[in-house]
Amino acid sequence: MNESWLLFKRSLSDFWRIFRRNRMGMTGAVLVLAAVMVAVIAPALSPYTPATVIRDEAGRGLTFAPPSVHGPLGTDDAGRDVWTQLVYGARISLTVGFMAGFIAMFVGSLLGILAGYFGGWLDNLLMRVTDVLLVIPDLPLMLVLVATLRQMELKVSPLTVLILVIGLLYWTSTARLVRSQVLSIKERQFVARARAIGAGHFHIIRKHILPQIMPLIVANTVLILSTAILIESGLAFLGLGDPTQPSWGTMLNFAFDRNAISNGAWWFYLPPGLAIVWVSLGCVLLGNVLEEMLNPRLMGHHLEGEARVVKTEAGRG
Amino acid sequence: MKKVVFVLLVLGLVLSACGAPAAAPPQGDSGSALRVGWLGFPDTLNPAYAFLTESYTMFDLVYSTLTTEAPSGEYVGLLAETWSVSEDGLVWTFNLRPNIKWHNGEALTAEQVAWNINAFITNSDGWVTNYSYIIGFVEARALDERTLEIELEYPISNMEFRVAFLYIVYPKDFEGFTTPEDLQNFANFSPIGTGPFKISTLDKDRRVIILDANPDYFDGRAKLGQLVYQTFDNSDALIQALKVGDVDFAAEVPTSAFKTVETFEGVTAVSISGRSLSELILNSAPDDHDPAPNRNPAITDPAVRLAIATAINKQDLVDVVLQGQGVPGVGIIPPTLGGGFWFNSNLTDVQFSLDEANRILEEAGYVMGTDGVRAKDDLRLEFRLQFPSDSSNYPRAADMIANWLNQVGIKATPAAVDPDSLVVATNPNADYDLVIWGWGSDPDPDFMLSVMTSEQYEEGGWSDSGYSNPAYDELFAQQQMTLDENERQKIVWEMQEMLFNDRPYIVLWYDDVLQAYRSDRFTGFIEYPTGIDAFQSLMNVEPVQ
Repeated sequence: MNESWLLFKRSLSDFWRIFRRNRMGMTGAVLVLAAVMVAVIAPALSPYTPATVIRDEAGRGLTFAPPSVHGPLGTDDAGRDVWTQLVYGARISLTVGFMAGFIAMFVGSLLGILAGYFGGWLDNLLMRVTDVLLVIPDLPLMLVLVATLRQMELKVSPLTVLILVIGLLYWTSTARLVRSQVLSIKERQFVARARAIGAGHFHIIRKHILPQIMPLIVANTVLILSTAILIESGLAFLGLGDPTQPSWGTMLNFAFDRNAISNGAWWFYLPPGLAIVWVSLGCVLLGNVLEEMLNPRLMGHHLEGEARVVKTEAGRG
Repeated sequence: MKKVVFVLLVLGLVLSACGAPAAAPPQGDSGSALRVGWLGFPDTLNPAYAFLTESYTMFDLVYSTLTTEAPSGEYVGLLAETWSVSEDGLVWTFNLRPNIKWHNGEALTAEQVAWNINAFITNSDGWVTNYSYIIGFVEARALDERTLEIELEYPISNMEFRVAFLYIVYPKDFEGFTTPEDLQNFANFSPIGTGPFKISTLDKDRRVIILDANPDYFDGRAKLGQLVYQTFDNSDALIQALKVGDVDFAAEVPTSAFKTVETFEGVTAVSISGRSLSELILNSAPDDHDPAPNRNPAITDPAVRLAIATAINKQDLVDVVLQGQGVPGVGIIPPTLGGGFWFNSNLTDVQFSLDEANRILEEAGYVMGTDGVRAKDDLRLEFRLQFPSDSSNYPRAADMIANWLNQVGIKATPAAVDPDSLVVATNPNADYDLVIWGWGSDPDPDFMLSVMTSEQYEEGGWSDSGYSNPAYDELFAQQQMTLDENERQKIVWEMQEMLFNDRPYIVLWYDDVLQAYRSDRFTGFIEYPTGIDAFQSLMNVEPVQ
């Protein structure tokens, strides 16, 4: 393993030492991890599947049953267990959120590095594309794209469409952020030195620039995660989810369409709403703390050694 | 009668989802004004080219027809006082009532009615929504001020019903149009009619329509002074408005809220066996259709069709989707038509059984794959399952149907589609596998049966399944000309059986009409098959003393 990555690893352990003392950050991490855990062990948390209809003695679907009549969270308009939908919904919501978030991070970082490092016409081209995407309002664009793509006979599932559309449209802020960092890093002396002794572009990006911007990318990814989950919920609420694989947004969509509010069925619409708040709050807390801690302006170069940690700690008071 | 085509784009959905509750309707003479809340708004008040049900509600209030339907389902005179038909059944003579006046005070003449009917006949490209009612008409003539004669090409079995759908408009407003497009683009937002109410305000921005009682109405003035129609952005807002008394009448109560509305104090909720049905459409377009059908060819396999029908639990759909407010569907004619006379009661529906559905597919050679999807050679049982995005019932129905189909190795992918796109996808493009949609039937079986004729499968026609069967078309023509009711019934029943066996549709349910009104304020509503807001019912409504 080369030296830069060793340093990166060491800075990670430094980072953990500081992070675990940060109450907000830890809260965020716990919220997100708890949701992930629920999604992973969903089948163990419920005796039903999301499609199971709870029936009364006469064999009729038990619709809009309050928690006092059935289960911890009652049933929805189709007589299905809300708790089961909630825990299984975590799978869909988080999968779409994470996958879309990672795609956005990957595309954004790649384009940001390319634009920042190589500059010139490439920078111009990529940034103009970014500008165009930035000025188009996201939600309407995604609505139209998802609706159109789903009407075409694509051999991909509705969820894949959602993931791709969110992921491939939401990289612009990451790209801008990464580009600006790369712009400043590539002017530093150690890059100039590496170039002077004959290092290639790929080598410089991999060994000198990537370790520097990695923390930034991590922090940004966590923030994008929450946005991706919110957008997924929004699109699903508007009926563009996959009804056979309910996410929290799909649950809200059904609750709204099927008059849960007029029926006073709070157990149908509050839980998915709170679950979305739970995860986005976790991501935002975590992301903000990470961003604050890893802000490159507070960070020296690895050759400056321990000074960085001292500075950061002092900065956090 | 018309497929309800709400023009609601995806973006519109966003707006309605975030929309603020609608503004309170303006206060008129509140003592005698009935404030109606509904969820739509008329697209036009021009009877030549109207598709939304809201437009037809307005036509009934503003315009009159020669005959009209009584609560019993019989036809009684409206503009016409008496009528008779010649021996050979080719000439109908209608005697108009005396003292019929237009809203502008002019007297109505038989000449004007004849002008209307001749316009429908000669400019049938313009008056498209009247087209199916005037097929077989040759000419209308005014014999004197009050006598109208309609000459036919062949005897027509349901003449009294047909003329009940021809709204008689004020000729001067419609004479000037030279092309069908000009005629259809005319929105006619200040219509002159002969009906019991006249429009005094139509505010498209606030989506309010105010109608005043017509004091000169030939059948006597309505007991109400005013009708106020206010559009609501979503059904929850409408229900809350009814609960707190901001509206007096909810023209459409969503199935999922009906049981709650029944518990409101001072409110009476009404459920009427209606004439609507919802169905699963199976792409049945002929292979040589132009453009070529784009579908999974497995959908045309009778075994697959039978398996799909067997895997759908219609009682569950009624219990869940309609919350019990309807009955499971069988044939294309709802059981309410003609008091059950036209409904083929010999048809017994396929028994729901997932095991049986699996067995049928197994026998037909569709082998279960490792991914849970059956396939015969390269033909996988994967279908698109689309439904119009403006319905609150269909997403749940699609979800339930997809779950049942998944359990028998058929992968159905549900998707909400903008209704306008769905119209084009079904007819003429034949670009779909399965679609959930619905119809409001006419009181006469003629319209629902016509939907399945091959001549309707062309752009602008009513057919969406693409069903094409010469024997069926033959029977359709026959039933139109059979004057003996019992003879006609036999043919109509045979046609239903034909459709039931070929399965261009799997009829899912017949839904009830659900409405509610403030019974602490208004009384006198009469139940009609279309609801308690039929114009004859509204004329009888009065404030509680």
